[in-house]
Amino acid sequence: MWARLINTALGLWLMIAPGIFQYSSAAADNGHIAGPVIVTFSVVAIWEATRVVRKWNYPVAIWLLAAPWILGYDNTIAIVSDMGVGVLVLIFASVKGKIEKNYGGGWASLWQKNPEHIQKSDQN
Amino acid sequence: MKEDSNHIPPGWDYNPATWSQRIPIVILAMVGFFIASYLALYQLDIITNVWEPFFGDGSVTILNSRVSHVLPIPDAALGAFGYLLDAVTGVIGGTGRWKKMPWIVIVFGLAVGPLGFVSVMLVVFQPVLFSAWCTLCLCSAVISIAMIGPAMDEMLASLQYMKRVRRSDASTWKAFWGLQSEIEKVN
Repeated sequence: MWARLINTALGLWLMIAPGIFQYSSAAADNGHIAGPVIVTFSVVAIWEATRVVRKWNYPVAIWLLAAPWILGYDNTIAIVSDMGVGVLVLIFASVKGKIEKNYGGGWASLWQKNPEHIQKSDQN
Repeated sequence: MKEDSNHIPPGWDYNPATWSQRIPIVILAMVGFFIASYLALYQLDIITNVWEPFFGDGSVTILNSRVSHVLPIPDAALGAFGYLLDAVTGVIGGTGRWKKMPWIVIVFGLAVGPLGFVSVMLVVFQPVLFSAWCTLCLCSAVISIAMIGPAMDEMLASLQYMKRVRRSDASTWKAFWGLQSEIEKVN
């Protein structure tokens, strides 16, 4: 739960930082795009059944590490902020947190040959 | 209570289709519906002002932007329809609907998912294309994102059930539409 809330806050930071520090347009656009995406994935992953969505933040976070150099930021604050957020999002997205309930094998079960929900229903 | 326990999917600890699971989502959808309807009334020139406490003329800029009028009907009206679809498909069916009417659960899941996706896209457009923010549009986006997580467990239960239907000798098509005779053939 807390890991998802921290990543939500980091996504919100990406959205508001360009206005506070007067980012150039490439850096500002990047924050305004990556921010809402990170917030969305983090909020959806709060629920146990959709916890797996936390991992969708990995590619976004990795992009944040590369973006300052690919897009050529000229603002040091923007470079430090994006790369720092990238590292932190990567760390907190890797935290699985508690899964207290069973979901018949979860989403992976839809591609497995003999998943938990089929085994359980065969026992009945 | 007894009825609920009969409707726990195999391999699960709880039934994702109980009212306590669904009512919060329906309430969120109704709040979203009212916000989107209010914004649509402004876009259709039925009301002349729109409430904007933080971003000056941000809401006016966003709600009159070319993106919001790219379709024949204003985007908020489409959003209102989406929320109404979420609420209606959230209410229809009893507590065993994940297996008794998989079609409604799957329509519900498909309605909640893409609405959230479109909302996020519109949030991105606000600052990137128009350098403005719209408070109520952001509220609407928060609501549609908050609905995805709690709605998807029921979707998962229905999709797992449909997988069990396919390996049984029941008709996938009839089971999808919830015919009683087919439900009995599936565990």
